[in-house]
Amino acid sequence: MTRALVAAALVIVIAPVHAQAQTSRGTDASSIPRTAAGKPDLTGVWQGGSTQPGAWAEANAGTGVGGSGRDPNAAVVGSSNDRPAGREGAPYQDWAAQKVLEAFDRRGVDDPTSKCLPAGIPRSVMLGLFPQQFVQTPTQLVILYEYMSTFRVIPIGAEHPDDMLPSYMGNSVAHWDGDTLVVDVAGFNDKTWLAGTGTFHSDALHIVERYTRVSKDRIDYEVTMEDPNVLTKPWVLRSTLMLREATRLQEYVCVENNLDLDRYEKLIESGVDFTRQ
Amino acid sequence: MTKRIATIVVVLGVGAACALPLAAHHSFGAEYDVEKPITLTGVLTKVEWTSPHTHLYLDVKDEQGTVSNWQLEGYPPVALYRLGWKRDATMKVGDTLTVTGWRARDGGTWGHSREVTLPNGEKMMFGPPAGTGDGGSAPAVDVR
Repeated sequence: MTRALVAAALVIVIAPVHAQAQTSRGTDASSIPRTAAGKPDLTGVWQGGSTQPGAWAEANAGTGVGGSGRDPNAAVVGSSNDRPAGREGAPYQDWAAQKVLEAFDRRGVDDPTSKCLPAGIPRSVMLGLFPQQFVQTPTQLVILYEYMSTFRVIPIGAEHPDDMLPSYMGNSVAHWDGDTLVVDVAGFNDKTWLAGTGTFHSDALHIVERYTRVSKDRIDYEVTMEDPNVLTKPWVLRSTLMLREATRLQEYVCVENNLDLDRYEKLIESGVDFTRQ
Repeated sequence: MTKRIATIVVVLGVGAACALPLAAHHSFGAEYDVEKPITLTGVLTKVEWTSPHTHLYLDVKDEQGTVSNWQLEGYPPVALYRLGWKRDATMKVGDTLTVTGWRARDGGTWGHSREVTLPNGEKMMFGPPAGTGDGGSAPAVDVR
């Protein structure tokens, strides 16, 4: 038991170093497409949460990761409602951490996406089964998410309006910090999960995302989440987006045949214990 | 001892970098039981190419000769499309298929599919791994 705890602690320490090495290896500044103004052009179809270059099918072959593997014995991989591997625990206040744990013990039954609601930020960015498309102009970045058919229209160089309607995907504005596009997101409702089962938030959520295209194939993504109502300090996560040339977004209508809610209710009525052992 | 821990750490560290977050529409464990793996061979009677999940239906004969129609959940159509599945072509009603997966928690004739073996022997993934969407091996917060 002690050994496992030590190993787990070391993973938390080592994982960021490993991630840094990955970043260095994936950097090739000369291959980054640029706009006429000299800024990186983020336009393209991207897959979140991956470090594998290449077209969709080849990048996802082998393990079933993201869906295209051929190996039924592949290890179970994380999902968009899993805790990102090797990362420290989310800095929730004690009462809020209990609420997160309760959701974990219910095995995601309360997941907003089970009801086909938008996945919110940063979950929509970091998931891997569905692509997202960036369309960049000199004055705005438009992001289309296949998952739940959501979108963000992000003006570059603008301020948030004074009267933001609370929303699932928030109100986004961006500015350039050198070659990094910094997106400030506010105006959220309190109906999404951030990154991991039960990671709820309040409508005071404020997010800052940093998109840095480090090579033709790769964007490094860093997200900082602040919510003084539930967190003790800003929560920072890092991930990557990989270019998927020739992939086109498709239609995903989640409510078309969502059988899961009825099943949950029946299983709960029948006394199924979802608590983890 | 120290070396062993270091080995574990390296393996997990690489795994962390390679792990790709799926977009689970729902928790695997809320509906399916990882302790109940199934391998079913039967005749395809219907395919629902619907979101958030496809479903294939299989007539399966048990040892007594009784036929049951199983409903097996899979990836959404968009994911299957990108994996190379061709609707109404890769598999057709009447085909005999072998499907691996996991049974529903209530023990009914429905389950979660993983791999389909087609009549020509080719194997293709039809659903994500067990445990997808269950919250991983650790809660998002550290247990104190």
